[in-house]
Amino acid sequence: MLRSTFLPFFISSPFPPAKAFALRAYLPRPPPVCKYSSSAQSPPPPPPPPPPPPTSAYVHLPFCRKRCHYCDFPIIALGSSTPHHPDTDPRISNYVQLLLREIAATRAWSDDCSPLETVFFGGGTPSLVPPGLVSSILDALKSRFGMCDSPEVSIEMDPGTFDKEKMERLLELGVNRVSLGVQAFQEELLRACGRAHGLKDVYEAIEIVTDCSELQNWSMDLISSLPHQSQEMWEESLRCAISARPAHVSVYDLQVEQGTKFGHLYTPGEFPLPTEMQSADFYRTASRMLSGAGYSHYEISSYCKDRYECKHNLTYWLNRSFYGFGLGSASYINGVRFSRPRRLKEYEEWVQKLEDGLVVLHEDISVDTKDMAMDVVMLSLRTAKGLDLRGFAKCFGKSLARSLCQALRQYVESGHVVAMDDDRNMLSYPEFELKMSEDSDEMGNAVASIRLSDPDGFLLSNELISIAFGIISP
Amino acid sequence: MSALVRFSRAARSKLRCNLLRHPYPCIPPSSVLGVDASLLHLCLDERSFCSQSRHDNRDGGIDLSQYSPEKIRNFSIIAHVDHGKSTLADRLLELTQTIKRGHGQPQYLDKLQVERERGITVKAQTAAMFHRHSFGHPDACDSQTAPCFLLNLIDTPGHVDFSYEVSRSLAACQGALLVVDAAQGVQAQTVANFYLAFESNLSIIPVINKIDQPTADPDRVKAQLKSLFDLDPKDVLLTSAKTGQGLEQVLPAVIERIPPPPGKCDSPLRMLLLDSYYDEYKGVICHVAVVDGTLRKGDKIASAATGQSYEVLDVGIMHPELTPTGMLFTGQVGYVVSGMRSTKEARVGDTLYHAKSVVTPLPGFKPAKHMVFSGLYPANGSDFEALNHAIERLTCNDASVSVAKESSTALGLGFRCGFLGLLHMDVFHQRLEQEYGAQLISTVPTVPYIFEYSDGSKVQVQNPAALSSNPGKRVTACWEPSVIATIIIPSEYVGPVITLCSERRGEQLEYSFIDSQRALMKYRLPLREIIVDFYNELKSITSGYATFDYEDSEYQKSDLVKLDILLNGQPVDAMAAIVHNLKAQRVGRELVDKLKKFIDRHMFEITIQAAIGSKVVARETLSAMRKNVLAKCYGGDVTRKKKLLEKQKEGKKRMKRVGSVDIPQEAFHELLKVS
Ligand SMILES: Nc1nc2c(ncn2[C@@H]2O[C@H](COP(=O)(O)OP(=O)(O)OP(=O)(O)O)[C@@H](O)[C@H]2O)c(=O)[nH]1
Ligand SMILES: [Mg+2]
Repeated sequence: MLRSTFLPFFISSPFPPAKAFALRAYLPRPPPVCKYSSSAQSPPPPPPPPPPPPTSAYVHLPFCRKRCHYCDFPIIALGSSTPHHPDTDPRISNYVQLLLREIAATRAWSDDCSPLETVFFGGGTPSLVPPGLVSSILDALKSRFGMCDSPEVSIEMDPGTFDKEKMERLLELGVNRVSLGVQAFQEELLRACGRAHGLKDVYEAIEIVTDCSELQNWSMDLISSLPHQSQEMWEESLRCAISARPAHVSVYDLQVEQGTKFGHLYTPGEFPLPTEMQSADFYRTASRMLSGAGYSHYEISSYCKDRYECKHNLTYWLNRSFYGFGLGSASYINGVRFSRPRRLKEYEEWVQKLEDGLVVLHEDISVDTKDMAMDVVMLSLRTAKGLDLRGFAKCFGKSLARSLCQALRQYVESGHVVAMDDDRNMLSYPEFELKMSEDSDEMGNAVASIRLSDPDGFLLSNELISIAFGIISP
Repeated sequence: MSALVRFSRAARSKLRCNLLRHPYPCIPPSSVLGVDASLLHLCLDERSFCSQSRHDNRDGGIDLSQYSPEKIRNFSIIAHVDHGKSTLADRLLELTQTIKRGHGQPQYLDKLQVERERGITVKAQTAAMFHRHSFGHPDACDSQTAPCFLLNLIDTPGHVDFSYEVSRSLAACQGALLVVDAAQGVQAQTVANFYLAFESNLSIIPVINKIDQPTADPDRVKAQLKSLFDLDPKDVLLTSAKTGQGLEQVLPAVIERIPPPPGKCDSPLRMLLLDSYYDEYKGVICHVAVVDGTLRKGDKIASAATGQSYEVLDVGIMHPELTPTGMLFTGQVGYVVSGMRSTKEARVGDTLYHAKSVVTPLPGFKPAKHMVFSGLYPANGSDFEALNHAIERLTCNDASVSVAKESSTALGLGFRCGFLGLLHMDVFHQRLEQEYGAQLISTVPTVPYIFEYSDGSKVQVQNPAALSSNPGKRVTACWEPSVIATIIIPSEYVGPVITLCSERRGEQLEYSFIDSQRALMKYRLPLREIIVDFYNELKSITSGYATFDYEDSEYQKSDLVKLDILLNGQPVDAMAAIVHNLKAQRVGRELVDKLKKFIDRHMFEITIQAAIGSKVVARETLSAMRKNVLAKCYGGDVTRKKKLLEKQKEGKKRMKRVGSVDIPQEAFHELLKVS
């Protein structure tokens, strides 16, 4: 199962020609036109086939008790002085009504559209939303798009926002994966980043989650490079995380975004934030300790026990289509990315327009082949699996695949990039050079795939990916 | 003190012979003009043709035939930077109703965008004006009946880099208004420009301007003019180009004190080509001074320099816009359009004459001397053709730049350009960017050095990269160009200025006082030492009071070495410099530090070195980048993260790559600032 999930869309499930034709016939408009502007000498390959219909849905539940200091997401802070308990807060129920309207107004890809395989409730703090409302959303999705027999249904939950009862309710409704936003195991760090929960909440939440015997698939989020965070604190957090035995760990390196409280207060690399060197060390430490505890580092910031990849997130990294619902959420359908308004009022107006048939989603916008190639490179190089050069060459041309290898040559030598043969055996640098020199146009690519090394290549992924971008779109 | 005596004596003796040649008020002897005295009298009395200030002939055009040399005055306005030449020109143009008061921008003749932005004149500009004046009887002047004069004014740049423009302009003139700021007094370019005019035997009318300023001290300035140039205080005009005070005296003084042009009306045509530029619609436009004879539209003319001949398609005066007149007569200054295709055919200083006639060419000008060389490269390697085109077009309008193709491993194909000075270089860059939309990188400016080898061969080096680091033969001697600098400062700053000059390897030639508060110093300095930041430094140690001018002087023997910059062991040709041996270490250190600051960290460590041959004189390492990763990347982030990475990619594209090191353009710009 893992093997098939990992193959990029253009080779994993290419449309059988007949079906593709049939599908197109169902569409009121032709699929997006691919503009091909080639920088290579060889004739351009035919434009990539349209991506398969979405089988994933992201649902944004934006409510939080308060905004964390590093957060620049579209959220709605409920505040502590609110007269309402979240269970009865009309702001939440009104929002969910709006969501349901959006889901209902969203045209399915086609009449015989594929049922959903993953649903992800992200936020905000989705665990603030009463389970009854979550249930209504799941029902709406089911009736609109269908749901496969064993879908992955994930929800983000923050310590201090749920009890055992709520947890069990959610599991009854069909939620089967939990992502717990722990972030740190130090009281002072939790406070410094403006989290609404404390260390006590963290341990309680872990207990609730691990007490649910039917919930094996849960993930813990940690943040590194927080202000005042020391190497010792980071190691402590990792140890605590490992001993809680989640199936999955997400490790985020703090990104100081403009417009956030941290953005005003701090400059990356300067006290009280760790230096670039320290924060690189944090990354290496996480990679070392989690790998040592049996987690595989399958994506730049994701680790999991065997077979516990987050299927929903893989959709993103495999560049597959997905629906998006709710405030500020993004969808990617028919090759087109679209982000909904980030302000509630504008989102509401937008839903109204959608119902009135005034918004044309994901159609009629021509997709640039270069953009598509950049997406594929950017996303696949985030994964341990890496970029499948054969599939890439098929879609975007052999010479482009070859130029990518040429440009990354020096980093194969330095060990930031790992080249592999068809059996995923790592090629030594001399072997790589040899393959490159043998690689005539006729033979296709002798190097089957490339990936970034862990941790060195991952740590400098932006550099490497932007070098690749420079080749794709000079 | 003895220096002062020497200086003044030299000035005076020179001056005396000048005064003998042009005693003023100056009515030249009729024999000089080749017309007899009675005719001259007649000309002066000709009222019937002078009924309006801008009188027209029957076609509505201007009839220049009424302006025989006696009724022509050609003069330049010369001064130190910012003493008010262009503003004074504005007032004179308004006074003669050549332009309307209050219309157009101030400094009307400063037309280039660079000139307007920087508030300086870069290019000399000519304007013809008409003015009535009763000769010798200013009191009896009746504006309706007084004879009308054709006055040709040339506004010149004040900055030292453009003194070539001044010399050229003076060749078309018989007199000059020497403008001096009433508060600042005589400054370095006042001295330099005075001598340019003086050596061209021009009549000089001293004008003390800006007398409206609260700190104006015209008496002190008069005394300076007297002591430095032996100009009689009685002859000095006092004006304010701002308030208009004293302006009415200026044109009468021009007409009375400056002699008419000396040419011969009945000799074969000879014209001096003063300047040329390229016009989108008309092609090459030449500014000319008709020295002898008459030029008519339709005439066939030839160039003494190229032997080519042309038909005159249009001829006229700058009034101040091009105004066709069909003819130009002896002594007049105007423009000619003759179907020349490129300004390369229009050589400044050339003599133009009627094809088939035989004339002795006019003396022409000394060619402009290129003091500073620098490489110009397209910022984006692929834009070479665009830059080539832009440079070609701009050199059509600024012939004082020399251009040769060159190439660099770091920067690709580009040009080695020679400039008259650093400001000239700066202005050229700015014009390329503003007028032609070019984007460029320039390399560290260098002066032309001469190297002599053991086999007796000598090479002039305009590009340090071209000097082989190991030529296989010994360098037996090197020479560098020097200048004679004139510095004028309030006397309390003498100490620091002497220190600065000796740090810059200067040799004092003169030290005198122009009055009780101001010192004048002359130094011989290596050109290299003054081209980059000398003037700024001088200004800052003298609270802005120092003024500075220089003229080029001979080559001097020097102990020079080539300083290479290496990135990870690989030399960056475009960053090589030739420096004095004693300064190599310091300059090397500065360059290395600058580069360390401006080169971004890479995925690997970078060593930055400055070396003379194989000897490393400065070294820094730039440690490898540790982390550049975007932590999360979920569905909603894809577009944003991609934008970030694309921006990063674009950043790389703008860099120049040497080996595997990317050098940002700013690094090149910053290196320009290292002295
Ligand atoms: N107060 C006062 N200011 C003046 C007078 N004449 C000129 N200025 C000012 O002095 C400044 C320089 O004037 P310009 O006419 O540009 O001087 P310039 O000599 O042509 O300068 P360059 O061409 O750069 O050498 C401007 O700001 C003028 O407004 C004057 O009579 N009085
Ligand atoms: Mg001026």
